Amino acid sequence: MKTTVAGKPAAHPASSTKKSAARPGGKIHPVVIYPFRQPGDYADLGPLYQWVASLGAQGKKYARPITVMDRKTFFANEGDKRFLDFRHSSVAHHSKILDRWCVDTCQMWYTGLGAALEQGAEGDVYWLIPGDFNYGTPVGQEILGRLHDLPEICLELEQDFCVGEITTDHRNSKQLIDTYGTFALLYNWFPAEAREIRQYTERPRSEFFALGHRFLREALLRRWYPYEQTVVLLLHAVSARLRISRFSVGNISDLPEGRESLAAVVQQVERTEGVLQSLWRERHQSGPGWIEHYRALGIQSEQVRRTALILLQTLLA
Amino acid sequence: MNPGPRPISTNRYGAPHSRRAVNFICRAPQAQSVCLTGDFNAWDPRSHPMKQMPDKVWMLTLELKHGHHRYAFIVDGQLTLDPLAQGIARNDQGERVSLVPVS
Repeated sequence: MKTTVAGKPAAHPASSTKKSAARPGGKIHPVVIYPFRQPGDYADLGPLYQWVASLGAQGKKYARPITVMDRKTFFANEGDKRFLDFRHSSVAHHSKILDRWCVDTCQMWYTGLGAALEQGAEGDVYWLIPGDFNYGTPVGQEILGRLHDLPEICLELEQDFCVGEITTDHRNSKQLIDTYGTFALLYNWFPAEAREIRQYTERPRSEFFALGHRFLREALLRRWYPYEQTVVLLLHAVSARLRISRFSVGNISDLPEGRESLAAVVQQVERTEGVLQSLWRERHQSGPGWIEHYRALGIQSEQVRRTALILLQTLLA
Repeated sequence: MNPGPRPISTNRYGAPHSRRAVNFICRAPQAQSVCLTGDFNAWDPRSHPMKQMPDKVWMLTLELKHGHHRYAFIVDGQLTLDPLAQGIARNDQGERVSLVPVS
């Protein structure tokens, strides 16, 4: 293969020799995370499961889709005939339902991806599909039309991790949380990795992603954090110099949505800080003098978090 | 809508082995030369020169097969990402490059 620019050194020589587990010909395993709170109508879930049915119909390309449903969701709606009908005629008809008790959404990911991995093989790709998105709207339809690109990129281009990014305008609360909260905290705890992650994505907490068999297996066998697992996966992938891609799956910059309560914003920033703190400690606790460094980063982290929350409170007021 | 390079035909459900014409556009008005490089030409930095249009943008239309392709612009000898691309990946040399889907 010819070089791209004569004489230019490879930026990531290690990644050039590391071949991904994903390969053309592998199977794609869709894992749908059913919304924790049942929506009032089926305007979004209906189109989602029509689309899931179309995946299931392509048996050579896709494994039977999996839907993870929290038992709390089931018991909160067990007297609702429309829910039971939809569950029976759409969800169970077009996918295999995993009914599980889960402490949070990330445990639903863990359950679904873990079950899919056990059915998969080397070379396969696993594809997370969040159910709580407005798939019935024009934006949602656009996203459904592009989501298949994520696992296909992993397969065709032998990528380990492909993160889907929804483009938003700079006032969208998720974007603001990532800019002032997530990235600020990432730069504090993992500065080198944060710089690398930012070269790929502005949305490191995206719930749209696909990943290869080997990387998923490795990630599942490590400690799985209950929150912000996409950030953790990106950190693992960057540290191991795996092949990461980013793909835009849609644009919601023109829609008047994305406003979250201050309490929800505080919770998201605090969760991110907690996960990064735990992950840093886990990676460094065997080294000498780690506790002093940990304390110093913790003091800085508190300052970063407080500043982020002041900024977010002002910007989202 | 991301305005990066797009297939001229937008039929997402075309035959998997079909080819589509894709317009590549690079905004580098001061550049002396711009070439397109990617998976499709084995990352040859010279085989696909782009043409400067009257409005100074550089353009090239290329037929690509169904799937996802990595590419970059070589602007006066420098590998340059497409800021309007729909995605980012790394090439086999570990350099960041752009992604275009063709369906």
